[in-house]
Amino acid sequence: MLTMRELSKVYRTDTVQTTALDAIDLDIAEGEFVAIMGPSGCGKSTLLNMIGMLDSPSSGSYVFNGQEVAGLSESKLADVRKENIGFIFQSFNLVDELSVRDNVELALLYHNVPAAERKRRVDEVMDKVGIAHRAKHRPSQLSGGQQQRVAVARALVASPKLILADEPTGNLDTHHGEEVMRMLQTLNGEGSTIVMVTHSPAHADYAGRIVSMLDGRILQERRRAA
Amino acid sequence: MWRNYLRIALTLLARNRVYAAINIGGLALGLAGCLLIFNYVRYESSYDSWLPDSGRIYQVQTKFNLPGQPARNVQMSPFIVYEKLPGGFAQVEAVTSLAPGKTVTERDGQPVFIDVGTVDANFFDVLGLPFAQGSAGTALPDTNSIVLTEREAIRHFGTADALGKQLSLGAGPGKRDYRVTGVLRNLPRNTSLKLSLLFRRDLAAIPPEQRGWGNFDQQHYVKLRRGADAAAINAGLPAWEKRNIPDAVIDGKPATMSDAVDLKLVPLAGVHLGATQDGGLAPGGDPRALATFAVVALLTLAMAVMNFVNLSTARATQRAREVALRKVLGASRGQLIVQFLGESLVMAAIAMLLALAVVELATPWISAAIGADIRIAYLGPAGMLLPAAALFLVTGLLGGLYPAFYLSRFRPAEVLRANKSSVETPGNGRFRTALVMLQFAIAIGLIASTWVIFSQTRYVETVDPGYRRDGLIQIVNAWRFAKGGEYDAAHAAMLAIPGITGTTRTSLPLASDTRPVWLVKPPGAEEYQSLSYYGVDAEYLQTAGIDLLAGRGFDDRIALDRVPAGDDQARAVRGVNVVINRAAARKLGFRTPQAAIGQTVRAMRGGPLVPSVIVGVVEDMRFRSAREAIEPAFYAVDPDATEVVLVRFAGARPGEVMAALNKVWRKFEPEIPFEARFVDDIAHELYAADRARGMLFAGFSALAVLIGCLGLYSLAAFATERRTREIGIRKVLGAKVRDIVQLLVWQFSRPVVLANLIAWPVAWWAMREWLNGFDIRIALTPTPFALAGLLALAIAIATVAGQSLRVARTNPIHALRYE
Repeated sequence: MLTMRELSKVYRTDTVQTTALDAIDLDIAEGEFVAIMGPSGCGKSTLLNMIGMLDSPSSGSYVFNGQEVAGLSESKLADVRKENIGFIFQSFNLVDELSVRDNVELALLYHNVPAAERKRRVDEVMDKVGIAHRAKHRPSQLSGGQQQRVAVARALVASPKLILADEPTGNLDTHHGEEVMRMLQTLNGEGSTIVMVTHSPAHADYAGRIVSMLDGRILQERRRAA
Repeated sequence: MWRNYLRIALTLLARNRVYAAINIGGLALGLAGCLLIFNYVRYESSYDSWLPDSGRIYQVQTKFNLPGQPARNVQMSPFIVYEKLPGGFAQVEAVTSLAPGKTVTERDGQPVFIDVGTVDANFFDVLGLPFAQGSAGTALPDTNSIVLTEREAIRHFGTADALGKQLSLGAGPGKRDYRVTGVLRNLPRNTSLKLSLLFRRDLAAIPPEQRGWGNFDQQHYVKLRRGADAAAINAGLPAWEKRNIPDAVIDGKPATMSDAVDLKLVPLAGVHLGATQDGGLAPGGDPRALATFAVVALLTLAMAVMNFVNLSTARATQRAREVALRKVLGASRGQLIVQFLGESLVMAAIAMLLALAVVELATPWISAAIGADIRIAYLGPAGMLLPAAALFLVTGLLGGLYPAFYLSRFRPAEVLRANKSSVETPGNGRFRTALVMLQFAIAIGLIASTWVIFSQTRYVETVDPGYRRDGLIQIVNAWRFAKGGEYDAAHAAMLAIPGITGTTRTSLPLASDTRPVWLVKPPGAEEYQSLSYYGVDAEYLQTAGIDLLAGRGFDDRIALDRVPAGDDQARAVRGVNVVINRAAARKLGFRTPQAAIGQTVRAMRGGPLVPSVIVGVVEDMRFRSAREAIEPAFYAVDPDATEVVLVRFAGARPGEVMAALNKVWRKFEPEIPFEARFVDDIAHELYAADRARGMLFAGFSALAVLIGCLGLYSLAAFATERRTREIGIRKVLGAKVRDIVQLLVWQFSRPVVLANLIAWPVAWWAMREWLNGFDIRIALTPTPFALAGLLALAIAIATVAGQSLRVARTNPIHALRYE
C-alpha cells in the first residue's frame, strides 16, 4: 500500500537544525496492523504525520497506492488524504461545540456525500462502535473511552483504506484502553490497514508488526508470530 | 497593591500592542467625535448668554394668525410694545427697540453695505454691550451720532481709536456725516445680535400712523426686574393685546386684530436656536441638526464603547490561567474585580488623553470651517473637564465591568486541571456577537442614511424648478435701478453686452424670506385664499423661461395688463389683468388652467378689493427651497414695485457677462454696491445645509465602519486563535483552505447580515421623517438599504478574510499536537 525510501525530515530554525526522520525505508502492505514504538522524541509522530500526509518530507520518496506523493501541493495532498486516510488522536480532538453525531458526520461533509447517505453511514458506524445512544450528547458529557470511540467512528465513517492512530490509548485508563485496542483489532480483522503509534508494549502486541524507532531511524522491525 | 495593578496593566498593553492600539485607538476616535460635537452643541447653546443679565433679557416675538394663511412667526414686534408694554406690566424694568437695516458707505472708492441697527436711548440699559471707548451713558446722544464695533472702526479708520471721528454714511440725498460717540468691543461670534454700527432712532420723528400695532419694522428687547416671571407676562399678553390693539374693518366686516397678532417673550439666550428665525439679525441655528449631530455622536461613542467591551471580554477569556493562579495565591474575587476594572480605566484614560489631543488639534480647524468661534475650556461651567471625566469613567467602567465579573468567577481548579490557557462559555460568545451586530447595525444605518441624503439633495438640486435656471443672473438692491427712466437706459446698456438676450424685473428675489401675501376671493366664493404676489414687468414670464399653460402672457400694449400708478385705491377702481400659476388655479377652485382664463377674482392686501381678471395660467415655479410647498402665486405687471433685476444670457463667458453688468451698474448706481449672483449658485446654496449634513453622515459612517472593522478584526483574531484546534481537525478530515475560509468568514458575516434587520427599519423610519420635510422627495426604495448592507458585508469579509486565510493555511499538526 505504501512505500517510503530514504525519507528524511529536517526542521530548521535560525540556529538549530533538527533531523526528525533520517533516511527511513518502510513498506506497509494492505491489511497490515503496524505499531510504531520508541521513546519520546524519536520521530514516531513525525513518521505518522508523513504517512498521513499532514507534513511533507524534506527529501526521499513516498509512494502511496502507486502514486508518488512527496512533491504534491497541499491541496492535492488534502484530496489524497481525505479519500484514503482516517485519523485517531491521543487527545481525541473532537469539536466541543458539535454533538457526537455532528462530530462523526464532519468527516463526510468534505466528501460531497448526499445528506441521506451521510445519515445512513453515520448511524451505521456509531452503532458499530457502540455510541449510538450518545448521538445527541456533547463530547464534554462523555467519558474518555466514549470520546475515543467517537473519534474512532469519525475515522471510520469515510471508509478509509488506512487508519492512523497516534497513541489512541494514551489518555485512557487500562479498561478503556483495552476496549479501544480490541476495536482496532476487529477493524483490522475486517480488512482495514492500521498504523498506530504507542508507548505501551501491551497495546503494541495487538499489532501484526512492531516498528521500533530511535533518533529518527528505524531500529528494528519485529513481526508477531501468527 | 495599586502600583502592582498599574504595572501589570501597562505591561499587558506593551505586550499586546496590536490589541492595545486597536482598542485604545477605536475608543479615542469615538470619544473625540463625541467631545467635538459636545463642544459644538455647547457653543450653539451659548448664544448671548455672555451678555450681562442675559437671564433677565427677553425678545418680544410675534405670531401672525391671518385668515387663510398658515401661522407665521417673526422676531419683529409692533411699535406699541415700546410705548405700552412697560405700563401694562410692572415686572418690566426697561424696553428697547432696534430697527435693523443696512446703510452704505464708501471704502477704497467702492460702495459697501454695513449692517446697522437703529436704536432708542434705552438700548444700552437693556443690552449691556461692552464699550472699548466711550460709555453707555454718553453714547448716541442724538441722531447725528453713531456707535461702532472695533472691527468696523478699524475697517473705516484703520484704528480702533475712533471716538469723536466723523464717518459719512448713506447714499443720494440721505448721505451725511455722523460722529462716533462710542466704540464697542467686538462682539463674540456666538451672538444673535449681529451689529456693526448703531444709529440713534428719532422716536419723535415717527409719524402717528406708524406708531400703532401695524408697524413691525423693529425688534423689541425687554429687561425684567429681578425675580420677575416671564411666563406670567406671557399669560397676561393676550388681555394686554385686546386692550391695546384696536379692531379693524376688513371687506366691510369688523375683524378682531388682536386675535391676528400674538406676542410672546422669548429668552434672549433661546433666540438663536428658537423656532422663530424670520426677521432675525443673524441666521439662526438648527436645533434639529444639532439633535442629529448629538445622536450621531452618541452612536459613534456607543460603537467605540461596545468595541472596548468586546475586545476586553475577548482578551479576558485568554487570561483564565492568570486568574486561576491569582486565586490559588489568595486573591479574593473583589480584588480581581478591582484589578480588571483598574486595567480598563487605564486604557480608557489613555484613550481619553488621545481624544483630548484630537479635540485640541481639530477644534480650530472645524471652528474656522463652520465660521464659529469654538474655544476649548477645561474649567468652569462650560468647561470640558467634567464631561470628559464623566465619559472616561463611564467608558472605563463599562469596558471593565463585564470582563471583571465574568473572569473573577472562574474556578481555579477547573481551569488549572484542564491545563487550559483560555476558557470560553457559549453565552460569552453570543454576547460579543450581539455587540458586533449592534455595531454594524449602526454602521449600516448611517451608510443607508448617507445614501438617501445625497440622493435627495441631488434630486432637489436637479429637479425642474419650473423656470430656466441656467444662464440667469439676479441683481438685487435695484430699488432705483429697476425703475423708470433709469431702468430704460440701463436696459439698453445691458442688452448691448455680448451674450445678454433679455432682462426683466421682479419684486421678490429668489429664496427670499419675505412673502407678500394677498387675500384672493374666487368668483362666487365666500372664503378668501392667500396667494403670493409678484410684481413684475411684461418681459418677466418669457425671460425667466416659465411655461404658459393657458391664456396669454403679459403685453405692454394692453393698458389693463399694467397696474395703475398710485395706491391700491387706483387699482380697485380700474381693475387689473393678472397671470396665476397652476397651484393658484387649483387653490382658487378652477378644475383646469383653461377654466381660469377670463375669470375675475377679487384681491386685497388690507386695503380695498381689486378686481383682477385672469388672462393666463403658467407652470408652477420653485423660487425657494424644495422643503417648502409650491406657493400659489399671482403675477401682475407692476414695475414700480420691483427691486430685483434678472438677466438672461447665452453663448458668452459667465464671468465676462458679470463683469460687464458690474460696469453698467456702477455707471447708474455708483453709490450702491453691485450684488449679483448666478441663479444656479443661489439654488445650490439653498441645500448647503443638507449637503453639510450629508457630509457629516458620510464622515461618521466612515468612522462607524472603521470602528466596527477594528472590532471585527480583533474579534476574528481571537476567535480564530481559539478555533485553531477545530480548524486543525477539520483539515485532517479533508477540509480545504477554501472550506475553512468559508467557515470563518460566514461566522463573522452572520452578525453583519443580522445587523441589517435592526438597521433597516430604524434608518427607514428616520429617513422617511427627514424626507417628509421636503415638498418633493425621492421614493424610499430598498436599494440604499440593500447596498448599505452589502457594502458593510463586503467590508466585514475583507476584514476577516486575511486572518481566516492565515489560519486556514497553518499546518494542522501544530494545532492538534500541542493543545
